[in-house]
Amino acid sequence: MRGPPVPEALTYQDVALQHDAATAPAVGPVSLHLCVGERVLLMGPSGAGKSTLLHAATGLFPVSIGGARHGEIVLNGRPVDSRRPADWADTCGYLFQDAAQTLAGFTVRDEIAFGPENRGVDPAEIHDFVALSMRRVGIPETWADRRITALSGGERQLVALAALLAQGAPVTLADEPAASLAPMAARRMAELLLAPGCTAMVVEHKPGPILDHVDRCIALGAGGRVMVEVPPRDVVERHGEALAEAGIALPLATRLHTAWPDLIDPRLPLSRALRRVVPAHADRLRAAILPDPIEAGPELVTLDRAACAPPFGPVVLRDVSLTVRAGEVLAILGPNGAGKSTLAGCLAGLVPLKAGTRKGAPGAVAFQNPEAHFSRESVRAEIEGLGHGPEVTGRILADWSLDRVADQHPFTLSQGQKRRLALALIAEAGRWPLLILDEPTAGLDGGTEAALARRIRELAREGRGIAVSTHDMDFALAVADRAVLLDRGGVEFCGSCPDLMRDRARLTRAGLLPPEAAPVLDWLDAAC
Amino acid sequence: MPDQSVWTLRETLIVAVLGAVFGVLYLGWVQVWLVLQAIFGPVTMDVVMGFWLVVSMIAAAIIRKPGVALISEVMAAAVQVLLGSPAGLLLLLTGLVQGAGAEAVFAATRWRRYSVTVLMAAGMGAAVFSFAYTWIRFDYGSLEPGLLIAMFVLRLASGALLGGLLAHIIVKALYRTGVLSGLAIDRDARAAGA
Amino acid sequence: MLTTLHPLPKLALCLALILASLVVFRLSFQILLFVAATLVLLIDARIPLRRLLLLMVPFALFGFGFFTTSVLFRAESGFAMQMAQEQGGGPDVAPGLVLFFRVLACGMASAVFALTTDPGRFVRALMQHLRLPAPMGFALLQAMHMVPDLRAELLQLRMARAMRLGRPLRRVPVPTEAISLAIPLLAYAIRRATRAALSFEARGLQRDGVRTTLPQPPMTRSDAIVLATGLAALLLTVWISGRLPV
Ligand SMILES: Nc1ncnc2c1ncn2[C@@H]1O[C@H](COP(=O)(O)OP(=O)(O)OP(=O)(O)O)[C@@H](O)[C@H]1O
Ligand SMILES: Nc1ncnc2c1ncn2[C@@H]1O[C@H](COP(=O)(O)OP(=O)(O)OP(=O)(O)O)[C@@H](O)[C@H]1O
Ligand SMILES: [Mg+2]
Ligand SMILES: [Mg+2]
Repeated sequence: MRGPPVPEALTYQDVALQHDAATAPAVGPVSLHLCVGERVLLMGPSGAGKSTLLHAATGLFPVSIGGARHGEIVLNGRPVDSRRPADWADTCGYLFQDAAQTLAGFTVRDEIAFGPENRGVDPAEIHDFVALSMRRVGIPETWADRRITALSGGERQLVALAALLAQGAPVTLADEPAASLAPMAARRMAELLLAPGCTAMVVEHKPGPILDHVDRCIALGAGGRVMVEVPPRDVVERHGEALAEAGIALPLATRLHTAWPDLIDPRLPLSRALRRVVPAHADRLRAAILPDPIEAGPELVTLDRAACAPPFGPVVLRDVSLTVRAGEVLAILGPNGAGKSTLAGCLAGLVPLKAGTRKGAPGAVAFQNPEAHFSRESVRAEIEGLGHGPEVTGRILADWSLDRVADQHPFTLSQGQKRRLALALIAEAGRWPLLILDEPTAGLDGGTEAALARRIRELAREGRGIAVSTHDMDFALAVADRAVLLDRGGVEFCGSCPDLMRDRARLTRAGLLPPEAAPVLDWLDAAC
Repeated sequence: MPDQSVWTLRETLIVAVLGAVFGVLYLGWVQVWLVLQAIFGPVTMDVVMGFWLVVSMIAAAIIRKPGVALISEVMAAAVQVLLGSPAGLLLLLTGLVQGAGAEAVFAATRWRRYSVTVLMAAGMGAAVFSFAYTWIRFDYGSLEPGLLIAMFVLRLASGALLGGLLAHIIVKALYRTGVLSGLAIDRDARAAGA
Repeated sequence: MLTTLHPLPKLALCLALILASLVVFRLSFQILLFVAATLVLLIDARIPLRRLLLLMVPFALFGFGFFTTSVLFRAESGFAMQMAQEQGGGPDVAPGLVLFFRVLACGMASAVFALTTDPGRFVRALMQHLRLPAPMGFALLQAMHMVPDLRAELLQLRMARAMRLGRPLRRVPVPTEAISLAIPLLAYAIRRATRAALSFEARGLQRDGVRTTLPQPPMTRSDAIVLATGLAALLLTVWISGRLPV
């Protein structure tokens, strides 16, 4: 029996969306809906049109972002065009894919107060609104007067969340809200955004961590059409293969099971399923989660008791001593604001040290904000700027799946496409012995992420030294030989990456969580 | 057809940030001027003056609405004041006068034409206004007529080249970066192309 | 104390200082004003001396330009001469020196406002008391916040470019590099404006309609007292400098 029909908060009816400069629709035609009190996970490969779809919900697309829409969108029972986009702020709150887009660049207090002010909340209550949302998100009070642009990527994301909560709109549209958050912070974000009873549509590339928090999953295919629409418990079980095909990252247990159906029992949690596996399979499992060893070469860069500060900021890391060798991949881990990006700049020699010494040739950094790398009028021109000749340029475009958007302007790319372009510009330059990739997986879909992991190992094998700062423990485990854990203004740990990944206590103390592959590591340890 | 006179939120913000960036650049230009002045003497001011007028033409050519040329120059002045510019409050008045000069030329085309000729004319308009203003402020009446004419001609040329022509070049380059998509300049370019 | 002062009376006071510095063409007055503003910044606003000195460098350069032109070329503007004479300034003091200190004094008076005022509070005060429309107000706020970010953005642009060209990053950009960065910097500003517009719109900023503002500390009696004291001190300084020889 079905209960009384639940009203729909947001309905897309045969919606197709085309950007002004584009020759074909970015997405659609799709029909989908979000009911009141329902939490929907929207997945899809990079460039499928997820963000564009969200922008259309209040009419930001095509009113403020130039384009054309076919089909109808109904928000809260009214056609979206019946009000201006800004009027809808009382109904629908956005967490854009880039936190710096949700925010405007003021101070933390001004940002959080902005939504309530616009709604005309009684002035006497605004301070409470601000304080309450800061507390809920866990932002220290001392940040109130800090400027957004002096915060780290993840810290901005938290402020964006607080601003969204303060705005108090009943419907939430969140575009990869956890992409730049450390695991524990990501978990709190999911609990706040997706508490039972909330009405929310969330875009994520990795369904794993939030499947427990959603009521329904929708997957868009590469063509921008709805491919799968199911309850969360079915999504990986029944449609795993189709999703993986489309580039959506599946949980490790599912991937292992798909690879060896006879070995890993899908009905059991990974740790229990592993108990039935005989030690003879150790090599296969090891190869599935750990990188092939590479013989490390000479030292490329050495930091000795370095004190690091972000440009124009205070010293945030002291007494950092580490080396990166040729042929080695180093993971830089730590909670948000630990100083990973700061260390990246110092390691590359771009930002001078405040104390201590750096020895070694300069390196290149793929910045956390991919847009920092763009300076030409098209994707192709950016790649041509590397100076490789037409054939290699074509190959690079294809390798990084940028051939379809080669003539687009870099700033009009989707977030994942931007990330790939920025990474390609650094990784394919060929000139740098030392590469530092700052959060390279943020915004990447599962398929590209796996390809990136392979590419990083290839580069290391060619003799480059690579440092990767990341919040994704499984990715770190898959690419890195060694890891450095930053926390509380210094180095907490520096050593073998698998060792760190098995040290649950140390990880949780730093706001991180063990990877999905931790049970496999434990099993390997017991088996050998 | 979007309303011709009301600025959208995006346009308002663009005028403000252009004012801010040029406020900073103008302060830098002051240093250039001082160095040149130390070498070439007093008329240098007329030669370099054009650059202090350029934001009006850039903002107007991008947004193409009434008031843009005026307000952007005033914004640039306000930012310089807030940055602690030595010229202080007077800059606001200067900005108002110079912006009005450019605005007058655009008004004469009824805010319809933004070709390089019109931009150069607007730069000259701003130069004329600013010349009148400095005349009053620095008592030019007491100077030699020959010198005055030279100063006036130099300033006109500077307004046309460093103001109008430079604005045209900058706007062209900016257009190529793609950040102007959806603005009036982009709409007009497409309409002309289609 | 200055940081807690209401922005509008403070603005009025600073404007009065600048105005006075422009009309009173006396060396002693300019020096007194300069010293007073610097002391306020040092003691009341607790700005480190190092930072203040750095801040003064461009002013000093600017002022020095006046000084050298007037000394080397003796081509002082008629206006300045006239003002100096009108106010009884002796011909023995080079007007260039007065101009030099005027630049420093005006700069420091502006800095007193800029360094002790929270831009958010200032803009909200303008919207509340002077009826500045909200879109204009927040556009102004955006512009004010962008100025300090330009430095960081410029550095990032230069880093990206250095990596692309395979050159080490210079500490200070050479002139050609600085010029070639103008377009990317402008593009950044316009992009930032575009994105801020989207953010404002998504969060409901309207030209019309009801809007409240985060309550700001109201204008109090102590604001009035500070303003009055400040103006009185200004008049006193003018008077004192009139008694001094230069
Ligand atoms: N302004 C624009 N002009 C032209 N094409 C655009 C524009 N903005 C986006 N696109 C294209 O539209 C497509 C969909 O973009 P969208 O940002 O919605 O993708 P997405 O699904 O959110 O991807 P991602 O997971 O990488 O964020 C992309 O191929 C993108 O290149
Ligand atoms: N310009 C600045 N001024 C002052 N503090 C800054 C500035 N830039 C960064 N910080 C602070 O320095 C610390 C380290 O920043 P960093 O960007 O290196 O962190 P991160 O480890 O990369 O974090 P995330 O994971 O969120 O990217 C943060 O606490 C941040 O708030
Ligand atoms: Mg997206
Ligand atoms: Mg970072």
